[in-house]
Amino acid sequence: MELELQHLCKQYGPIRAVDNVHIRLSPGVYGLLGANGAGKTTLMRMICGVLAPTSGCIRLNGKPMQALGEQYYAQLGYMPQDFGFYPDFTAREFLHYMAAVKGLSAGTGRERTERLLKMVNLHDAANRRIKSFSGGMKQRLGIAQAELNDPSILILDEPTAGLDPKERVRLRNLIADFAREKIVILSTHIVSDVSYIADTILMMKQGRILLQGAPDEITRSIQGKVWELLTDEQTAADCAHRLSVVNLHHEGGRIRLRMISDAAPAPNARAVEPSLEDLFLYHFGESSPSEGGAAYESADSI
Amino acid sequence: MKALIRFEFQKILRRRSTLIVCAVSLLVTAFLFALPVMQYQVYDHGEPRKGLDGVAFQKAQFSGGDVWLTDESVAGQIDEVRQLFKNPENVGFDGGEEFLIGDAYWNSVAPREDLLNLIAGNYAPPGEFAGYSALAKLDLSAGPRFYETRAEKIRAIVGDPARRMSAQQAAFWEKRNSQVAQPLRYGYFEGWRVLFSSWELFLFAVLAVCIAVAPVFCGEYQAGTDAVILAGKYGKTRVAAAKIIASYLFGALAFLVHIGLACAIVFLTFGPEGWDLPLQINGLSVPYPWTFLQAALINFGVIFLVLFAMIALTLVLSAKMKSAYLVLAVLVPVLFLPMFLTPSGTTGLLSRIAFLLPYRSTMPELGHYISYQFGGLVLDVLSVRAIVYALFSLAVPPLAGRGFRRHQPGA
Repeated sequence: MELELQHLCKQYGPIRAVDNVHIRLSPGVYGLLGANGAGKTTLMRMICGVLAPTSGCIRLNGKPMQALGEQYYAQLGYMPQDFGFYPDFTAREFLHYMAAVKGLSAGTGRERTERLLKMVNLHDAANRRIKSFSGGMKQRLGIAQAELNDPSILILDEPTAGLDPKERVRLRNLIADFAREKIVILSTHIVSDVSYIADTILMMKQGRILLQGAPDEITRSIQGKVWELLTDEQTAADCAHRLSVVNLHHEGGRIRLRMISDAAPAPNARAVEPSLEDLFLYHFGESSPSEGGAAYESADSI
Repeated sequence: MKALIRFEFQKILRRRSTLIVCAVSLLVTAFLFALPVMQYQVYDHGEPRKGLDGVAFQKAQFSGGDVWLTDESVAGQIDEVRQLFKNPENVGFDGGEEFLIGDAYWNSVAPREDLLNLIAGNYAPPGEFAGYSALAKLDLSAGPRFYETRAEKIRAIVGDPARRMSAQQAAFWEKRNSQVAQPLRYGYFEGWRVLFSSWELFLFAVLAVCIAVAPVFCGEYQAGTDAVILAGKYGKTRVAAAKIIASYLFGALAFLVHIGLACAIVFLTFGPEGWDLPLQINGLSVPYPWTFLQAALINFGVIFLVLFAMIALTLVLSAKMKSAYLVLAVLVPVLFLPMFLTPSGTTGLLSRIAFLLPYRSTMPELGHYISYQFGGLVLDVLSVRAIVYALFSLAVPPLAGRGFRRHQPGA
């Protein structure tokens, strides 16, 4: 199976939210990283066919999405960020409804619903109205609906947003479970989530794919640019002013800094192994400023 | 598809706004249709009898059974009034107008005053009112000629130059009128009189249904469920169709409940008697050969089509707009502004259009001779309303479906 995004563009007035994205995706987990307004949500919505590209084409196994029609959507599972539920539906009713939307027969829908309710640990709450659910329960229900039709392409937009660490780990493991033999694209602002489960990182900036590769491979691209320095307050303040500081830790009367810099920031600075978080900050800066498409992606995208 | 329709129906039904608006609308309907009985008042020898007591009294006036309006019976009714007027003790005056007083009125006229007014009205020129006292001065030297007089009056109505009817339209109405069975049968029909004077009240039920279905599409946009639905296999195809069908089903059921409630109030208080009586006993110049029940069913059919068209309009607005409030901001004026657009007559393009607007379309206009000519084809207002609203109900929902399919979440 191959999902091909061919020169995909989405333009809003003068702003290109997605700019000539051209990639081929085969089964595996893809972590989509980027600052606010980088175009991740727009790209995901186009892959899901709910947003029409300004130009370019999406092909599945060589066939255009439009030509495949319902066949394409039948292979798709999508969990948008902050998507709504029907508060007066129970979890079970909601999944039955989504099964009908996804074209599953009543029997298959019921069987998949029960299995997924168990997998996402919502079986005991299946008959509770969704309005009584916590954020984590809603996220798990969201994952369950995306997985209902056992899709070949699973798109998850910020699936771990707003969850506590325990829920995040639980959800991460669920996604890893579901990911076998599928193309899974997930965006998150929590870099560690991606580093745990993604086979490939797609880093987006200003609507373009800036970097693409395995986490270890792309973090090596900033090898020798991440530094640690144990110093006094005056030097630390100077470094924080000039450089991108990843981490700052007080140790007694001194401060340990982790920084990104093309050259050694101080004679006693020590080069350390880069992480994905370092890479993110290297490309987007410490403050992760919003990019061009932010106005169009609103608060639901990173 | 059945499952999708069922779920979409549930989504409409379970929405809190649906429950509130339906409850309020049913209360308003109950109140409005209970008003006629609460305000009902008849007089028994000068003493008012109100509400259900008044209804019972009025019904008792018809205990002798229905009256067949043959020339002989009409002549008899007229003669009885004349005899009463011959006794000066029975006659009162108000300026130049004479009327019966005392027992002559209370015992002989009051129990059948509506019937006597109906007969007197037949002999009055078109558009003029004549009460029972006019019967005393009628020239009946050639006999009552009740139905010939009625036919002449109808010819005068359709031949009135102010109506600007074509020869085909005049022929259409005369033909329709010729189908009215004779002799007419007169009897108690208070329940039907109330219903036939209250048609426009059903517009509140139409509005309630529209409010309930307003969020069908835009509610998904607001809740943020649009993206996940549109990414489903049937999201861009069957879901939209299911939403439209479920909206129609809900609208039909909710409206039936409103009709049921209104009719229950009217007919449980005034009684269903008169369902098989001809419309002409409520207006002799009515040209439709129907009983009250037949006319009510036909007009309910037309109102249902108006309802479906308004649901269709609501859905297309819902698919295009982002909030149910915006939908209603367009819809409420469409429904209620025509209340202030009273047709200035039965001719002229604007008046003709006004008769087809949703508010006026709830009223059957049975005695107004409103017809439309398309080439050689003449149709009455009920038929044109049925065609216009049926076409609208069929043609517009696909636009709602297309609006939903083309909706781009977050764009």
